[in-house]
Amino acid sequence: MILFEHVGKRYGGRFDALANIDFRVERGEMVFLTGHSGAGKSSLLRLIMLLERPTRGRVLVAGHDIGRLHPSQVPFYRRQIGVVFQDHQLLHDRSIFHNVALPLEIRGFEPHEAARRVRAALDKVGLLHREKALPIELSGGEQQRVGIARAVVCKPSLLLADEPTGNLDPQLSADIMALFEDFNRIGTTVMIASHDLALIARLRHRVLRLREGRLVADEEAA
Amino acid sequence: MSRRQPREGGTSRRQPREGGTSRRQPPPPPRGARTQRTRSSSRFRGWLRHHRAMCLDSARRLLRTPIGSLLTMLAIAIALVLPAALWLALDSARLLDAELEESATLTVYLEHQVDEGQAGRIDEAVAAHEGVARTRLISAAEGMAEFQQALGLADALGRLEDNPLPASIVVVPVDPAPEAVRRLAGELEALSGIDEVRLDLAWLERLRHLAELGSRLALALAVLFGLGVLLVVGNTIRLAVESRRQEIEVVMLIGATHSFVRRPFLYSGAWYGLGGGLLAWGLLALGNQWLALPVSALAASYGATFTLPQLGPEGSATLLLCSTLLGWLGAWIAVSRHLAEVRPR
Repeated sequence: MILFEHVGKRYGGRFDALANIDFRVERGEMVFLTGHSGAGKSSLLRLIMLLERPTRGRVLVAGHDIGRLHPSQVPFYRRQIGVVFQDHQLLHDRSIFHNVALPLEIRGFEPHEAARRVRAALDKVGLLHREKALPIELSGGEQQRVGIARAVVCKPSLLLADEPTGNLDPQLSADIMALFEDFNRIGTTVMIASHDLALIARLRHRVLRLREGRLVADEEAA
Repeated sequence: MSRRQPREGGTSRRQPREGGTSRRQPPPPPRGARTQRTRSSSRFRGWLRHHRAMCLDSARRLLRTPIGSLLTMLAIAIALVLPAALWLALDSARLLDAELEESATLTVYLEHQVDEGQAGRIDEAVAAHEGVARTRLISAAEGMAEFQQALGLADALGRLEDNPLPASIVVVPVDPAPEAVRRLAGELEALSGIDEVRLDLAWLERLRHLAELGSRLALALAVLFGLGVLLVVGNTIRLAVESRRQEIEVVMLIGATHSFVRRPFLYSGAWYGLGGGLLAWGLLALGNQWLALPVSALAASYGATFTLPQLGPEGSATLLLCSTLLGWLGAWIAVSRHLAEVRPR
């Protein structure tokens, strides 16, 4: 599903955020990406999201060299990927329902079909009863679950999450991770960047460990 | 742990599981997530729905800050009023010009010794010329009477013993174009009994040059002020884009196309343009009311009737269309500049 070949990303001509990264993630796998802050976790995810292009090497997603995509194809590429952010990135001027409906709106779904899917996604994350609320009225954990609902409402084949439990207490973090495992069980490839080592260790999935922009360990699922 | 280790370990460890099969699988089409509803009719309906939604949403956003929106529209209106007013003035000058051309006449002065009988025959000869539409003979006595009346010098002229004025013929040419009139004058001058042919074309040509100058000036002003409208709208939209920067980034991250991101701003720009155009139209009507009275009084003092030109339905439609398009274009430029900044690097 994801293949990195000798990928390097250099900023400002000198600083190597990522150097010589090689790995492969299979379809349907669940992978954690870990390392200290600044180790290159976010840079790696940004390359997959095509927010940035690698300075060296190739990134293949679903068999396509995404470095070769024309700018006009980038939006359609991104529609295959669901992304969950640490800071949720919800739009505060609209309700939970409309936040989750946003990806469907972009794809031009019929309103009733969109509503059906939004409610299904909200039900999955246990927030169906809050659909009319504004993001500001929700707790941090609830906001993150809205972010997840938005990421999965279009049933993406790849789900990326950048520190999805960064600001949550252990119990909420475990709940969030359990949600990701649910999506992984129905076939979604999941890649989660996190520095919560204790939690990652408990979950027993494959772990890619980054240090100073290099891949220093690839630990198979236990 | 050496840095080569993970890659080697990772790939070698993964190989057995791959078994070369997963890579051979045909990759899903790049638009895989949309395959369920790629029916073009449904996509077109979705596109229409988004247009309608953004059209209304941008109007609501404008109404949410009524004063700010009104000020922007007023700035656009003022930029539009000047070229529009100049254009109207030129339009009326053109009407005036056409009228004048119709009244372009030649005056044929007969020789002094020509008597009335001869004058009648010369008049017939002139009228027979193919370039002459019609003529009017003015005898020496009639000429004197007209002259006295026009100048109010009846007493002074009455003291003259002899009528110094010759008989004359006013000739209306078939073709009022200056060259044709000049040629006609030369041909008439060759007829016997004719002393001189006067044609007063110089001021007509001067007027035409002035009109040409005016229309070029109007065009230059229209271009300049059109740019002004672009800048006003562009700057307003740039601020709107700034204030919705996070929203733009989020929707682009989840797969919004550039046209999807642009759409609400383009509608805002078009609304600003349309509002500015309507205000400009109102300002022009107001100016017309304000100037109508003195203008008609002035015209009356010249013994003429002249009403200020007004924007007809066609002119109004042009004004509104131009202002809306300018607003749309200004927004397009502003948003595109922003979108260029958020491309993947």
